[in-house]
Amino acid sequence: MENRPEIIRLDQLEKTYYLGSLEVPVLKGIDMSIRQGEFIGIMGVSGSGKSTMLNILGLLDVPTGGHYFLDGEEVKNFSDNHLADLRNEKIGFIFQSFNLSPHLTVAQNIEMPMVYAEMPRKIRRARAIELAEQVNLGHRLRHRPAELSGGECQRIAIARALGNRPSYLLADEPTGNLDEKTSDEIMELFKELHREHNTTIVMVTHNPELEPLFDRVVHLRDGRVVKGEG
Amino acid sequence: MLIRDLYALSLHNLLLHKIRSLLTSLGIIFGVGSVIAMLAISGGAKQAALAQIAVMGIDNIIVYSKTLRKAGSSENARSTTLEYGLTHLDLANIRKMENIEHITTARNARIRITKGIEPLDVQMFWVSRHFMTDLNCKIVKGRWLAPSDFKNSMAVCVIGKNVKRKLFKLGEKNIIGRKIHVPGGAFSIVGILENNSGTTIEGINNLNETIFIPSTTGRQIFTEYTTETGPRMLKIHHVENDLMVIKVQDTQVIDHTAKRIRSLLEKTHKDKDWGVNVPLSLLRQQESTQNIFTIVMGSIAAISLIVGGIGIMNIMLANVYERRKEIGTRRAMGAKKRDILFQFLIETVFLTVMGGVIGIGLGFGLAASVTHFSGMPSDVSLWSIIGSITISGIVGVVFGTYPAWQAANQNPIQALKAE
Ligand SMILES: Nc1ncnc2c1ncn2[C@@H]1O[C@H](COP(=O)(O)OP(=O)(O)OP(=O)(O)O)[C@@H](O)[C@H]1O
Ligand SMILES: [Mg+2]
Repeated sequence: MENRPEIIRLDQLEKTYYLGSLEVPVLKGIDMSIRQGEFIGIMGVSGSGKSTMLNILGLLDVPTGGHYFLDGEEVKNFSDNHLADLRNEKIGFIFQSFNLSPHLTVAQNIEMPMVYAEMPRKIRRARAIELAEQVNLGHRLRHRPAELSGGECQRIAIARALGNRPSYLLADEPTGNLDEKTSDEIMELFKELHREHNTTIVMVTHNPELEPLFDRVVHLRDGRVVKGEG
Repeated sequence: MLIRDLYALSLHNLLLHKIRSLLTSLGIIFGVGSVIAMLAISGGAKQAALAQIAVMGIDNIIVYSKTLRKAGSSENARSTTLEYGLTHLDLANIRKMENIEHITTARNARIRITKGIEPLDVQMFWVSRHFMTDLNCKIVKGRWLAPSDFKNSMAVCVIGKNVKRKLFKLGEKNIIGRKIHVPGGAFSIVGILENNSGTTIEGINNLNETIFIPSTTGRQIFTEYTTETGPRMLKIHHVENDLMVIKVQDTQVIDHTAKRIRSLLEKTHKDKDWGVNVPLSLLRQQESTQNIFTIVMGSIAAISLIVGGIGIMNIMLANVYERRKEIGTRRAMGAKKRDILFQFLIETVFLTVMGGVIGIGLGFGLAASVTHFSGMPSDVSLWSIIGSITISGIVGVVFGTYPAWQAANQNPIQALKAE
């Protein structure tokens, strides 16, 4: 594990929200490193800044202090377009509420990030089929999200996140909206991706039962990493 | 993002919500529809007016007699003589004026033309030689009245094309040489005349429903006095001339010439038993009313398109608000601001252009039904169609930019949190 390439390094990362004159420090100097192929859980009480950290890792938000190195390059003062390209190429997002487009078919939903990568239509479609099969939903390509169960929707969302072969997946409570059994199935899928495809995964979760599944768990408390900085 | 991907990934959305999209575009649909219909109707009116003016001749001044209904003498008289209209003296006086090339005259024979005992809506005029060319008619069969017909006062006639239908059986092909019997004599048909516009001219009505004979023949057979009988009364009409078609030398001063004719007639006639038309100034008048019409209509169109555009902007803003989560998700997956901007802009333009296309259909329908029910001609021009689509697209860009800009500038994190 130690000799794998480092994908992400956070160095004294800070995030403070400003509400008028009121300062709300949320992240107060996070040091952390994530290596290729790691399956990392981020845990902590509600309001501890897990989502905030994930948004920064996902290049949707910018830190107010410290450094963020992605593939050895510091992510700082990048243009909006450059950040969009990086999100497109390197990051796969998985959301608690799936965020599928209800009016698009399963195949079209999976194709979405590939469209923004300007992948030719045929290649895109072939890859969507391949990914749908990978999450065991190859037979539902023409269906719409409303015709799928929550677990199936999350599988599609995972397939979508994998479209452009990202460096890592970011998942914010991906099982938060699912019952226990479905939740287990989704976790099984993540484990499989991790084990068989060596996918790097960073997952925020509330559920302490999931702890043993992760290679490493980062505990956040009061804006700092209290355990598992790597 | 490529345009054709846009269809699959977002325009699709609009097609799914067909009813909502249709309602959204309603302002544009009605705006464009009414403009197309009004343009079609005004275009039709213009063409009809142009056709009529073309018949009357652009270098002509038309002077005609008006019937005076009021009796000259006391009411209870059994017999009255009505004298009115253009006189030989008028003709001689006008002839002497400047800028007159030549004058063609026509006189209504005022006889009842029948088929058996059934009266026909056909009239007979005796006319001078230049009548056909000066009124832009053409011969579709046979010939026009020849100089020798005039010289020898021949009993020949040229009939308007509708007269044939009214007087003869359908199957009859060649009617040249056949005779028409009217009170006063029989006339051999030498030709059939057609007037394309089919419109009417003051003083003579429809040329296609008229029988023309040489003026010399007419003067011999008929008199300038015609009688009209009714129960216990007798009216004698004395009319010397029904119509003068005055061809001028210089159309630049045609209005001036017409003015002088008017003042001459005003001086010599006690009553207003005459009228003067200048086709060229009718044309100018038509053009200026057309322009006013266009301006008024353009304003109405502009207002309805602005109202329609604001409606669309409103709905697109609501749409952006509703679809924040989609916007956030797309941004997370790598959509740039400009991709989102473009997506929403294209959606709006698509809506307005579709609205424009439906509006054109509606306009066609409106114009056709107006033509059907009122008989007003209509003519949808290609330019009005191209213009409507272009303007619909421009409305989409103008009113779609702000919502699209709003969509593009949503904070991705806030957008993702939206429900
Ligand atoms: N836009 C914002 N403006 C001000 N404060 C914010 C903003 N976003 C988050 N916060 C604050 O930052 C803190 C951390 O929020 P965050 O969403 O990261 O928590 P979390 O660990 O994900 O909690 P949960 O487990 O409930 O999802 C919270 O106290 C929240 O109130
Ligand atoms: Mg959270």
